[in-house]
Formats: sequence, structure tokens, C-alpha cells
Amino acid sequence: MASFDVMPDVQLFQPAELDDALNLADRYAEDGWLLGGGQDTYGWLKDRAKHPQAMIDLNGIEALRGVRQTENGIEIGAVTRLRDIIRDETLKRDFGLLVSAAEKVASPQIRNAGTLGGNLVQDARCWYYRRGLSCYRAGGNTCYADTPEGMNREHCIFGASRCVAVSPSDTATAIVALDATMVVQSVGRQRLVAAEDFFVGPATHITRMTSLEPGEILTAVRIPAKWAGKKFYFEKVADRNAWDFALVSIAAAISMDGDTIGDSRFVCGGVACTPHRLRNVEAAARGKTLSDENVEAVSQLASKGARPLRANGFKLPLMQNLVQRAMRA
Amino acid sequence: MGIAEYKNDVWGREVLLGVSWELLWLVCVVALVIVALHAMYMATRKRAERPSAAGKQVKRHELIDRVMHWVMAISIIALVITGVLPIIGIEFAWLTLHWISGLILTAAVLYHIVRSVLQKDLMAVWISADDFKEPFDENIKPGKYSLAQKGMHAAVTIATLLVIVSGLFMFAMIDTPWWDRTNALSESTLGWMFFIHGLSTLGLIALIVFHLYFTLRPEKLFYLRSMVKGWISEEELSANHDPERWVTDEST
Repeated sequence: MASFDVMPDVQLFQPAELDDALNLADRYAEDGWLLGGGQDTYGWLKDRAKHPQAMIDLNGIEALRGVRQTENGIEIGAVTRLRDIIRDETLKRDFGLLVSAAEKVASPQIRNAGTLGGNLVQDARCWYYRRGLSCYRAGGNTCYADTPEGMNREHCIFGASRCVAVSPSDTATAIVALDATMVVQSVGRQRLVAAEDFFVGPATHITRMTSLEPGEILTAVRIPAKWAGKKFYFEKVADRNAWDFALVSIAAAISMDGDTIGDSRFVCGGVACTPHRLRNVEAAARGKTLSDENVEAVSQLASKGARPLRANGFKLPLMQNLVQRAMRA
Repeated sequence: MGIAEYKNDVWGREVLLGVSWELLWLVCVVALVIVALHAMYMATRKRAERPSAAGKQVKRHELIDRVMHWVMAISIIALVITGVLPIIGIEFAWLTLHWISGLILTAAVLYHIVRSVLQKDLMAVWISADDFKEPFDENIKPGKYSLAQKGMHAAVTIATLLVIVSGLFMFAMIDTPWWDRTNALSESTLGWMFFIHGLSTLGLIALIVFHLYFTLRPEKLFYLRSMVKGWISEEELSANHDPERWVTDEST
């Protein structure tokens, strides 16, 4: 497939007010493209693999930027730069999990430009799909990665339904672990979606990664105070230390009650098409101390129910080890 | 608007992707227009006196046939809903519901075929050359089924068999409790399966519109009753059918 040196002919809108952006998103619907930091956008457009008529640049909308205290936690605007999240003192103090995850995104240059919203709603990185092939996710009839010869080392071990791509977002795992709520707006309507429900798998919608409908904009992420200051752990295992996507990552929020584990949320990235919550691990960990025996026993549950593909069986012990490291941290 | 959609495969060759779903709206509009035109035509005609439902009852459908009819009807409706709603943008986890409905339909159709061949008069619903005289001569009445009913049955049979066969090929490509997905079919073969599946689905949607319309027409309501309760009256039989050509099993 050819790659091009110049951008395709796309109409660019740079609204300064949210209402204007919503009206544009409504007008162009599936033919519109919401632009945050552009780190996922320009590759698609340059490869001519996506063909939006209009690009709606959200960066000029001040209301979508910044970290704000709310009655019950904090609210982060969707076009807040990852760099600003990493440097925010409130987030560092109360929600270090998100900061740790944001620090692991790609490279410093990309974190300077990339936004939280963009990182959350980014598209799948399966190279067959990114190459512009007519796979299931692109509206076709087959999955090239899920074949006897398919290159599927990075693909899913949970939740495959025709497509086997994974959620590539580092911050998504942290957002789900922190039980965040996504604020989604469209013309005349706002809906609040639990982060866990915001991300959708191929069984529900094979051509999308989130529940965002055409015409809707993710405007903010709300993180409840419930998990503020708890024990957090984030680790991302990738082939490179920088500028790479997770083979497997883990985001854990653990509420300790003395020596025993109370509530906890363990979420893995890189193993399913959505951030994959380890509910069996959470249930087994509740009320347990952090003894070696308990940690070993609980971690074994992490990969239960996994269906590895030809080349990604290594993700099963990797998940188990990451759970152990999260508990022992 | 084409009848099919194409895309490039991994080698850059153009392959058939499936039916063009823009046809969905065309099929719906055309079917509804035909129904509306028929309704207007019927409204201009002199209304014939309807035969009474009272009196002696004649069995038209056995209980098992009625049950299987409704099983097939419900499973086809479930298949259309789970298959088409995601295409028009109403998203939900449809795939499992879809193949379960498909298996129920397949089992019901297989049973219906076996029973029709072994236990029933298959020719009663088969279209013959003589049937084509029916619309042109008021004195010729049909046997158990009219030409229109036979035509509807034949069309539904063809569309249903096509949708089942193509659906079974696609079923082999996904995870089920009995096997793991294989991705064994070539993209072009799958494209043909998707095309046949989509095209027969569009046909079924049009046929559902016609079937519902003719079922609910006032002068045809007694057929709906017979599919629920099993009988028509002797007067309804003699007004709409030729007793010589429809030897009823028994009277109730």
C-alpha cells in the first residue's frame, strides 16, 4: 500500500467553543474526525487508510483542558496533554496510578502532544488493520492475525470475537482501575459512562473501540475520590522501553486494611480488545494477607479463561507475574 | 448503488466483501410501496361478503406444523433483528444470539423437510403448471394452497435455505461450544458466503413484509386463525378452495 508525503484534502475546523465542536461533530457524524494530539490521526490520514471529510480540532477549546477538583474527586478535560497529567501535583498525590500510566505512553515528544482523550480512544494497533486491509475491523470478512500463519504475538488472549486486536491505551487500564466515569457529550445531550463500559469489544462493535457514537465527543474523565491515595501499581511490558505499545500491562488499585487486602481493582492492558479487569483476582484477593502463598495462589487466577493464539502464549505467565508484582509492590 | 461491495485483500486484489447494505433501504421502500399499491387496489374493489367462521370446522394445520411454523417465524425474526440492527447502527452483542437463532431455524427447517417428505403431501404446496390458470379464471379455485401461497412458500424456502447454508459456512468461522474458530475459508469464498447470506436476508425482509401484510388483510385473517387454532370453517373452505383438490384429513 502506498504511503504519501502530503496530507489528503480534509476540511479543517478549529472551534473555540464546545458547542461549536458538538455542532460540527453532529453535522459530519461518521465523516468527521475529532482531533486531539493527532498522534493516532496523522498516520491514518497519511496512509490514506481513513477518509474523513472534515477534521474537528478540539485543541482550541479551553473547557476541554485541565485538571479540576470536583465535589467527589477530580475531572480531567479530554484534551489535557499527557505531559500536563504527569506534572499535575494533585494527580501525583492522589491518583499516581494515572500519572504512572501516562508516563509510560510512547515517548516524551508524543506525551507533549498527545492528549488523555486521544490516548483513551485511540484505534487498534493490529498491523493488518493499520495497513488498510479489509479485515473484520475494517468492515471485511476475515481476520488476518488469527490464521495459522498470522503474526499475532501482540494480539488478544481474552474476548476474541472474529477480531483479535487489543486495546493499545496505557491510560485506559489506569482509568478503569480508578473506576472513572467518562463524560460524553453530543448536541443537547450528555451521558456519563463508566470507564469499564466505555470500551467495547468486537462482539459488540467490531469496527469501534469505544461506545462513542458518531456526533459524540468525549469531553472529560471523572475520577472518584474513593481511590485517592490508595496503593497503586502500574507496569508495562513492551519490547522497547519507549515508543512502544504494551505486550501486557497492569494497573492495580488496592485498598489495604492493615495487612489484608480490602477492595481492589486489577486491570490488564494488551490482553483483550478492552482493558481487561481481573475480577477473579480481585475476589480472591479480598481479605487475604500479602504472604507469598496468597500472592502465588491469587496470581494464578489472572490468566484463567485465556485463549492464546499461535504466538502469544507467553502472555499467560506474564499476566500472572505482573499480578504478583502488583501485589508485592 | 451497487448490489455488492468489494475491498482489496492482503495481496491488493479486489475481492467480494458481501452485499451492499444500502440495498436494505431500497428493499424496504420497494416492499412497502408494493404493499401500499396492493392495499389501494383492493380498496377500490367491491368487497365480497366474507364467509362465516361458524359451523363445521375443517382441520387445516396439525398442531406440530403450527408449532414449527411459529418456531421458524420467531427464529427468522430474531435472526433479522440480531443481524440487521447492528448494520443500521444499533450495537449490541448480537453474534451469539444470532447463531443460536440460526441453529434453531436450521433444526426446525430440517424437521419440516423430513416431515413434509415422509408424512405429508409435499405436492400440495408444490407449484404446478395448472396453478397458473388460477388467477385468470374465477371458476378455478385452489386446493389446500393458492398459487400466491405456494409462491410465497417457494420464495421463503429458497431464501431460507440460502441463508442457512451460507450461515453454516460463516458459523464455522467463529468460536462455538463445539469447535474453535478456524479462519479456514479463503477471503473470496467467505465473500461469496457473505454476499449470499446478505442477499437472501434482503429477500427474506421483503418476504416478511409481504407475509405480514397478506396475513393481516381482513379477508385473509382466517388463515392466521388456522395457523393459531388449526382450523377453518367449512364455509371458508368452500369460498376459497376447491374441496375436490383439497382432500381434508378430518373434520373436527
